[in-house]
Amino acid sequence: MLGQFKYAVKYVLGLDRAGRHFTVFPDDTFLVSYPKSGNTWVRFLLANLMYPNETVGFANINRLLPAPGVLSKRFLRSLPRPRVMKSHETFDVRFRKVIYLVRDPRDVAVSEYHFDLKKRYIEPEVTLEQFVKRFIAGETSSYGSWWEHAASWIAARQGNPAFLLVRYEDLLEDSIGETRKIAEFLGIEADAERLQAAVERSSADRMRTLEKQQADQWTGTKNTRKEIPFVRAAKSGGWKETLPAQSAEEIEAAWAPLLNFLGYELQSRHLDNTVMPAWVKTGQPL
Amino acid sequence: MIKHLIAGIQRGLGLHRPGRSLLILPDDIFLVSFPKSGNTWTRFLLANLRFPDEPATWANINRLIPDPTGTPKRDFDRMPRPRIIKSHECFDPRYPRVIYIVRDPRDVVLSQYHYHRKIRKLDDESPLEQFVTRFLAGETCPHGSWGQNVATWLYTSEASPRFLLLRYEDLVANTARELVKVASFLQLSAGLEQIAQAVERSSADRMRQLEKKQTDKNELVKGSRKDLSFVRAAGSGGWRSELPAPMVARIEAAWGPLMQRLGYELSSQPSKQERDYEVRNEVSGVRS
Repeated sequence: MLGQFKYAVKYVLGLDRAGRHFTVFPDDTFLVSYPKSGNTWVRFLLANLMYPNETVGFANINRLLPAPGVLSKRFLRSLPRPRVMKSHETFDVRFRKVIYLVRDPRDVAVSEYHFDLKKRYIEPEVTLEQFVKRFIAGETSSYGSWWEHAASWIAARQGNPAFLLVRYEDLLEDSIGETRKIAEFLGIEADAERLQAAVERSSADRMRTLEKQQADQWTGTKNTRKEIPFVRAAKSGGWKETLPAQSAEEIEAAWAPLLNFLGYELQSRHLDNTVMPAWVKTGQPL
Repeated sequence: MIKHLIAGIQRGLGLHRPGRSLLILPDDIFLVSFPKSGNTWTRFLLANLRFPDEPATWANINRLIPDPTGTPKRDFDRMPRPRIIKSHECFDPRYPRVIYIVRDPRDVVLSQYHYHRKIRKLDDESPLEQFVTRFLAGETCPHGSWGQNVATWLYTSEASPRFLLLRYEDLVANTARELVKVASFLQLSAGLEQIAQAVERSSADRMRQLEKKQTDKNELVKGSRKDLSFVRAAGSGGWRSELPAPMVARIEAAWGPLMQRLGYELSSQPSKQERDYEVRNEVSGVRS
């Protein structure tokens, strides 16, 4: 009861966390991904691209590229438009313009496992094999399973000009080229120099240095285990070394149609022809 | 500011409609559909099945099978569990169990057009063709387009044991049989007699009679035009006579594969002979 009144007071003052319950404007752009898919890295990239005169770090990233999940409604209202915000939500019809960042779920599983250890969401005794079973069932995240997340966005929007699908792996492979695509999508005119600067200022090394200095000034790393870094490997395909073969097979068996659609090569070659049915895509402009 | 303060006080007392901020409980069941797909009828069916001692009416349905955008938060907190909750949202990973009702979009568009006239969102002269354009673009309601609503649920969840897909057309054709499926999904022990009673108490005729008496007791119909009724044809396939062919073709062009997946035959579908011809050509590598 008291909690309810506290919330009511916060609500009146506009200080309640926005979460999913904030006003979305038609000119908003959202950087959306499943957790642990490179969202923070791309936030740095975008912030450095959009604000070349700011020194982007963990201390100010929530202000420069806001996360509605942890910010107040009042703050979100006060931002200059058009706003660019980050989100981990599954398909939200109010988000008109979306950069959807997707990452190989076999890497996501490993990354999320380390992150959950860092955050103390799971006990140190939990093995990766155990974790992957829960990961597939969508029990490790409040944003659904990786499949539900990617499937909901792709089913609703793939093919729409206001939807840009970006693979984390492509962004690693050709950071400048992919950042250029994103800049064009956002209508930012960026020459080679500006793109180069944004990529360099968002490098894994630089982010690691910033993390050491500012870990306590950011909601993502505050009060977490300091011996496990937030910026970890920052590469793709690491699952081949760390993920037990059995777990990789389980993920492939569960999600082959989307893995194939996204071009993530399977170990289980017999699933190569498992495709996404044509009825899924409904997002094309009519 | 005053309005905001009143909203704050309502929140303190739990009188506000929770909408998306509804606290979802692990045993909740959601009855989900795109609007105008038989959701209200199914709410009556489920309410009558679940609460046989309190026949469902327009006056109590918002309490028996509540709607997060229409029922006060306090009522949600006081409900017996497991709760059955109505929703029109696109895929939401928080819903623990989902009954999803799908209806032929060619009938949905007509139903929504009539409903929007009833609630005065459209006047009688408003051209249907224009409405179809907005319907295809998902602009006639805040729950996505028909295709987005259906596809986000179907593709994310169809393999899940916590997801039950029902076709409105099957519900119309054999209500009792479909309700047996629902009862087993809900793990409700309902005998055939109880099923028959729920069907009877939720018939279109009874709902029409109740609507006449209770038209101002429910948000769905309150303050709307009295010359048009909420419970309309309550049938399937009306589009064949009411929806002009070019509009049918546009809907089928947009969502053909999804409609076929759901068993809705396309009128623009090539005949079997034509299909065989295409397959032969593809196999032999001949392209037109």
